[in-house]
Amino acid sequence: MARTRTTKAVAQRIDLNYFKKATPFKSAKLWLAVLAPALAVLWIGWHFLAGDHRVYSSGGLSAAHAVLEKQCEACHLKEAGGFSAAARDSACLACHDGPAHHPEMTASSAPKAKCSECHGEHRGPIPLASLTAKNCARCHADLGTAGTGSQFAKNIASFSNRHPEFLALRPQNGGPPRDPGTIKLNHALHMKAIRRGPSGPSVELGCGDCHRPSLSGDTHWEYGDKNYAAATVRYTAADSFEPAGSRGLPAKRPGNDGKLMAPVKFANACAGCHSLAFDKRFEEGAPHDRPDVVHAFLVRAFSDYVAAHPAEVREAQDPGRNLAGRAASWPGQTVSPAQWVSERVAVAEELLWHKTCAQCHAISGTRLEDVKIARWDAAGGRTANRVSGRSLAPLLQAALPDIAAAHTRLDWLPHARFDHDAHTGFSCTGCHPNALKSAESSDVLIPGIAVCRTCHAPGPGHASAECSECHTYHDWSRRREQEPVFTLPALRGGGS
Amino acid sequence: MLIDRSQRGWAMASLAILAAGFAVYLPYASISPAGPRGGSAIGLLFGVAGFAFMLYAAALGARKRVATWRLGRAKAWMQGHLWLGLLALPMILFHGGFHFGGTLTRVLMWLLIVTVASGIYGALLQNLIPKKMTTDVPLETVYDEIGHVRALLAAEADRTVEACCGNFLSEDRALPSGTDPTAQRAGGFTALRPIAASSAPLRTSAAVSAGASAAVAPAAEVVLLSESQSEPLRSFYVLEVRPFLERPKERGLRLSDDARAAGAFTALRTLLPSAAHGALDDLADICSEARQLRRQERLHRWLHGWLLVHIPLSLALIVLGAAHAVMALRW
Repeated sequence: MARTRTTKAVAQRIDLNYFKKATPFKSAKLWLAVLAPALAVLWIGWHFLAGDHRVYSSGGLSAAHAVLEKQCEACHLKEAGGFSAAARDSACLACHDGPAHHPEMTASSAPKAKCSECHGEHRGPIPLASLTAKNCARCHADLGTAGTGSQFAKNIASFSNRHPEFLALRPQNGGPPRDPGTIKLNHALHMKAIRRGPSGPSVELGCGDCHRPSLSGDTHWEYGDKNYAAATVRYTAADSFEPAGSRGLPAKRPGNDGKLMAPVKFANACAGCHSLAFDKRFEEGAPHDRPDVVHAFLVRAFSDYVAAHPAEVREAQDPGRNLAGRAASWPGQTVSPAQWVSERVAVAEELLWHKTCAQCHAISGTRLEDVKIARWDAAGGRTANRVSGRSLAPLLQAALPDIAAAHTRLDWLPHARFDHDAHTGFSCTGCHPNALKSAESSDVLIPGIAVCRTCHAPGPGHASAECSECHTYHDWSRRREQEPVFTLPALRGGGS
Repeated sequence: MLIDRSQRGWAMASLAILAAGFAVYLPYASISPAGPRGGSAIGLLFGVAGFAFMLYAAALGARKRVATWRLGRAKAWMQGHLWLGLLALPMILFHGGFHFGGTLTRVLMWLLIVTVASGIYGALLQNLIPKKMTTDVPLETVYDEIGHVRALLAAEADRTVEACCGNFLSEDRALPSGTDPTAQRAGGFTALRPIAASSAPLRTSAAVSAGASAAVAPAAEVVLLSESQSEPLRSFYVLEVRPFLERPKERGLRLSDDARAAGAFTALRTLLPSAAHGALDDLADICSEARQLRRQERLHRWLHGWLLVHIPLSLALIVLGAAHAVMALRW
C-alpha cells in the first residue's frame, strides 16, 4: 500500500519559527546587505578624509587642464556664505584672456555668457576650444546687432543648416563671381601636356609645381629658376596682392594662416618655361621687376656690351632683311654707342612690353605705337630712329608701360580658416575640379560649400562640421597677456 | 510578482513619465550649447526625480521588515518598487546626459545599471519559476525546512526498510540529523524521538502523532523477510537509497534521475518477494519526494539568488547617491 499524507502530519514537519532561523542564504543576504553599503561608506569616507575631491568630479578635465586635476579650488571658487563652489569666470580669466567677440556685438544683443557655458569642463580630454554649433547658433541663428545691422547672414544654425555659400563664390553685382587677379593664366592649358619653351620637350604640370602651402619649406621647383628666385625685386606687396578688405577675427595662433597656399611666384613656377630673353646677345633674361628696373637693366646691359664690343656700332645690313630686294645705297652704317644702345633697348623693350610681359600681365600706358622701331629701313636708312625730330631716348623713357597690379588674392575665405595641410590626403582636383577646364583668369576656382559638406557634415562617418573648425569667436587681436598664477613646484605639491 | 493585467495602471503611468521625460530631455539636449549637464536646472530635476524613485524602491525593504506598518498594501509597494525602480534608470541617464562622468558618478551609474538589470532579471524569473515549481515540485515545502524534511524522509525510509529487513542499521542513523527536538511545529509540540525498527504496524493515528517523522504513514501489513530474501533490498538501501537521501547534491547518483531511479526500483522489484513490494513502493515514493526537494532547492536558488546582487548593490547605490547629491551641489 502506498504512503498516505495527512495535512497535519505534513504541517508537523515545518518549524513554526523557521523564518527566524538563520540559513546560509539569509545570512549571505544580510551580510552582503551590510557589507556593500559599508564598503561604499568606507570608500567615499576615505576620499573625503584624504581631501581628495577628484572622486566627486563629474568627469575628467580637458587635456589643457589636466594639471589641475587635484586643484579643484583653482576654478571652483567658494563665495562668502555660499554652499556651492561653482566655476567662476574670474577663475578662468586669472589665466586666460577672453577678448570679446565682434565689436558689433553688444550686451543688449547678446548677453555676456559665462565662460563655462561654452567651454564646459569635466567632459574628459576634449579640446575645450572646439565648441559645438549650438553655442554659435544661440546668436547666429537669429542674429541681432546694435546699430546699423550686420553684414553677415543672420540665420545660420550650423554649417549644414542655412550657412551661406562662401563669399567669394556669391554673385557680384549681378554677374558671376570673379577672381580680382589680373595675371592672365589659362589653367586648362597648363594642366595638359604643354611644350616647355619654343623648342623644349612636352611636360605635364602638376598642381604642386605652382601651388604649395606657404609653410612648405620646399626649395626645389621643377619649373622655377634659381637666379630669379635669388634676385631681389623692387615691386611691393601692393603691386602683387589684393588690398585687404573685410577680414574675420584673427586666429589665436597666427601661424595657422600659413596653412594657406602661398601666392604663385614667377621665379618658382613660371621662369623655367617662360623665358624673359630680350636679345640673342645675352644668355640671361630680363629681370622680373618693375618696367623702370627692366629699362635700367637693359640700358646697362647694352652699354656694357657695346663697351666690350665696340665693333658692334658698325653694322652691315643683313641681306636677309632686305625684303625689297633692291640694292641699298649703303649696305652698312656706323652709329654712336649711345645711339646703338638706345636702338637695342628700344627693340628689346618692344619685345618685352608687347609680347613677353603682356603674355601674363595687363599692360597699359605704353606709347610704343609712336616709336619707330630701330630696324633697317631700306628706303630711309636709320632716319626712322627719330620721331618728329626728337631724340629717341627720352621718348623711350616716357614710353615705359604701366603694369597692372596683380591683385592676387591671398585668402579666399577671409572670415574663416582653412588648413591645406589637414587635407593633404586628397587630390587637388578632387576639390578644385574647375582648375582642369578653366580658361579665364577671372574664374574663381575655390570649391564651394557643397564640396566641403561632402565630408564635413553631422553624424557618424563624417568629419566635424562644427563652427569652430573654421571660425574663431574671441577677437584675439585684442588679447592681453595674463600674469602667470601657477608655479610648477607648488602645483605638483598640491598648492597653486 | 506576476506581471499581469493588474500592472496595467503602473505600466501606463510609467510609460507616461518616461514619455514626459523624453519630451523634456530631447529639446533640452538639442538646445544646450555644451550639451545636457547634471548641474543644469533640468538636469537637476531629472536627478532629483531619479533619486526619489530609487529611494522609493529602496523603501520596500523597510516596508517588508516592518510588515505591520499601515503604509499601503504590500502589493502596491511591490508594484511601485518594480516600475519606479525601472524608471530611475532613464531619469538618471537624462540627468547625466547619457554620460557616466567622473569616478563617483561612473560607479553610481554602473551600480544603478546592475541593480536595475538584476531587478528585471529577478522579475522575469518570478514570472517563470513559480509556474515551473508548481509543475515540477508538487510536494514543495518551505525552503528553509528542506534540510529537516529531508532528514525526516531518511528516517522514514529507515523505518520502512527495517520493517522488512529487520534492524540492520545502526542506532544513530535512525535519528534525523540536524533536527531541533524542541522546535515548535505545526499541529502542536512534538518531541522527536528515535524510532526503532519495529514490526508493529505504524499506520495508526497514534503512531502518526507520536512518530514525529510520520508525515507519511508507512504501509501496513509488513512482513519481515528472511536475510537471504532481504539481501537485495538491504544492499540497495545501503548503497543507493541512503547515500542519495543523505547527500542529494552528489553527482552520479542513480536515484537523482527520475528515469534511472524508476529502472532501479523496477529491477529490484523482480528480486524481492511480493510481500516487500509495498515497502519498495514507499522507498520509491520517498526518493521521488527527495528529488523534488532537490529540484525545489535549485529553483529556489534561481528564484532568489539574484537578490544577493540586487539588495546589496541597491543599498550601496543609495548611500553613494546621497554622497553624490551633497558633493555635486557643493562643487
